[in-house]
Amino acid sequence: MARPYPRERSNAWFLERWPYRVFVLRELSALFLALYMGVLLVLAARVHEGSSAFRDYVDALQSPLYLAFHAVALLFALLHSVTWFQAVPKGLPLRRGEQRVAPALLIGANYVAMLALTVLVLVVVLS
Amino acid sequence: MTQAPSDATTIRLEIARYRPEQDERPVLERYDVPYRHEWVVLDALNYLKDHIDGTLSYRWSCRMGICGSCGMMVNGVPKLTCSAFLRDYLPGPIRVEPMANFPVERDLVTVLDDFMEKFQAVKPWIIRDGEQPLEEGEYRQTPAQLADFKQFSMCINCMLCYAACPVYQHEDEFLGPAVLALAQRYNHDSRDQGKGERQELIWSDEGIWDCTFVGECSAVCPKHVDPAGAIQQAKVESTVGWYRSFLAPFGRG
Amino acid sequence: MRRSNEPLFWSLFSAGGVVTALLVPALILVTGFLVPAERVEFGRLEAILSHPVGRLALFGVASLTFIHAAHRLRHVLVDMGLRRFRGPIAVAAYLAAIGGAAWAATVAFA
Repeated sequence: MARPYPRERSNAWFLERWPYRVFVLRELSALFLALYMGVLLVLAARVHEGSSAFRDYVDALQSPLYLAFHAVALLFALLHSVTWFQAVPKGLPLRRGEQRVAPALLIGANYVAMLALTVLVLVVVLS
Repeated sequence: MTQAPSDATTIRLEIARYRPEQDERPVLERYDVPYRHEWVVLDALNYLKDHIDGTLSYRWSCRMGICGSCGMMVNGVPKLTCSAFLRDYLPGPIRVEPMANFPVERDLVTVLDDFMEKFQAVKPWIIRDGEQPLEEGEYRQTPAQLADFKQFSMCINCMLCYAACPVYQHEDEFLGPAVLALAQRYNHDSRDQGKGERQELIWSDEGIWDCTFVGECSAVCPKHVDPAGAIQQAKVESTVGWYRSFLAPFGRG
Repeated sequence: MRRSNEPLFWSLFSAGGVVTALLVPALILVTGFLVPAERVEFGRLEAILSHPVGRLALFGVASLTFIHAAHRLRHVLVDMGLRRFRGPIAVAAYLAAIGGAAWAATVAFA
């Protein structure tokens, strides 16, 4: 009687093809979001402590290490935003009668909202 | 738009052979077959079997992307070999292996028992509390009601999505993409009343909640069923149901 | 078959996913680059963070981000091969998120 060869499992499947690599990077974006949120909370705590504590932390934020971290965090945050918006029409297949609302419309609406919120944040902080 | 015919005359295939009576594990064997601009990988396999080595085992039937039997890994990607043109893999070699994530019966033939069991577990048929009498006519459906599930009904059970799913690779209990999309197909059918019967299994940890939305199932699907989307939608529905069960604890389960 | 409690975590994860996708790039732009470039005045930051809306927003965004991250990392660690430890990983991840949310509360409502 023939004996089947058992199915193979790879411990490194997430390195084997580009779609899987992008998936893992997408998921790891959460690590950078959490780390960044930690930095933001420290900054907020320094602001509450007063202007000299804030000044010290601004000095720290000017170091290449912090700037590099924020650059990487920004890239991961953008990866998260792009992939998240891409996924929205998958979970919410809006329909108008027989016609499905074009996924591009839903995705586009998310980009518009992100842009509007970005402008709002900049106006509140800078003006 | 296809490329101009290439001047290649042969192309090399690297084929995973597994002959249980002699091989401990699958081994790659190399064959040179004629290259034809209009040939697909399945044509090359058929040539190989007819002219070079008649012992090669693989499944195929319709040659037109309908039957769903000829799924294999082509250069590591799940493909229907009847739709994978040699010209897209020039200059070769082309590595052909059995579908990943399934046990191998022989050569390019996989064992499908696990899929078949899970397939039946979601009750993929229309369930009615009671049939309406014949004289009341057929169960009618509006075009909008049809559109609600039609995409999920296009599945041909080729199982490429299982070969693409790393969660299925590692999690024995996971129902997997095609089966969950099929459950969604019946749950969204206006003529069906079996949602409650399917829910317990679908909404469990072995159902949709093992899925982490890698999304490759939808990328490799030859019929654009979008199982990843089906599962995401089921997650939304399950979540709504979960919260609703707290608001109305005595409602229907 | 046990009914999954995943909807609770998944809905919080999704809420956090939406909020972070819409907001975090802008926040990083401000605190990671404009603040070190000294383009943001201390007084303005202090006013924002002392305003009730600012406090609520900071707490909301931070705690949702922590829950989002905990849920995602919990699952990706399992996917990446730590399937045997899925129970402890889940507990550790959500405890960390709760700790993070508590920290966010003390900072935001200080």
